[in-house]
Amino acid sequence: MNQKTLDLLLKSHHREAYLWARQCCGFDSELAKDVLQLTYLKILEGKAKLNDPAKAKTWLFSIIRYTAVDELRKVGKLVSLDESPELVDLPDTVDYTDYEGIIKLLPTMQQQVILMVFYHQLTIEQSAEVLQIQLGTARTHYARGKKKLKELILKSQTEANHGK
Amino acid sequence: MENDELIESFFEEMKANDQNLEIPPFPEKQPKKINWIIPIGIAASLLLAGFLFYEKAPEPEVPAEVIIITLEEGPNQEQQFKITESTYLDTWESSTSSLLTEF
Repeated sequence: MNQKTLDLLLKSHHREAYLWARQCCGFDSELAKDVLQLTYLKILEGKAKLNDPAKAKTWLFSIIRYTAVDELRKVGKLVSLDESPELVDLPDTVDYTDYEGIIKLLPTMQQQVILMVFYHQLTIEQSAEVLQIQLGTARTHYARGKKKLKELILKSQTEANHGK
Repeated sequence: MENDELIESFFEEMKANDQNLEIPPFPEKQPKKINWIIPIGIAASLLLAGFLFYEKAPEPEVPAEVIIITLEEGPNQEQQFKITESTYLDTWESSTSSLLTEF
């Protein structure tokens, strides 16, 4: 793939790439900008190569995620999978309009699978590729994340209705 | 599928909310600018060096004077050489011209 085609491809995915970088960085906009810059740098320096143009979005999301993990580790904000607890109890109050806050209540892997499927319209298979996990594992994260997110949304809606 | 509708609706609202987010501009590549100061500086240095170290071709030195040697007859009928110096030659006579006239 020549440089011009690669530039066009990156440009066409730029908005979504930034939003995904932000989601991978715990919705930290400034860190997301740095992550995106580093991602583009890796690509332009040839450190990350796209072999199959049909998988451009999956490829880009995967680089962004790994770059975000590195950057979060550097700033000491990385929560390892072992430390990312399964949500047992729902919080006392959940604000329905605090979308990011609600998503952050899910464990990291569940957050990312749910965001990729519902926000970025990727399939579970593509999400598994981005996260470099088995399809079965991705399906488990998807099912658990969806169940918990539904509980959180319903709780927030109930609170909103009671508050009126 | 009610679950999915609820979640889809949640994400639609989230996306609408994200429309207000400021997206950083895509980093455009800057065209390479030629810094003309460097080549101009090099050219100027070369010119100056050429001017300072240029040596003129040595011009042939003009002889300071002409030595004229003439053979004259002295008062006692003897032949003697007369040597004179001059910066120029008024007339020139071939040393063998007498052969043409006196022979």
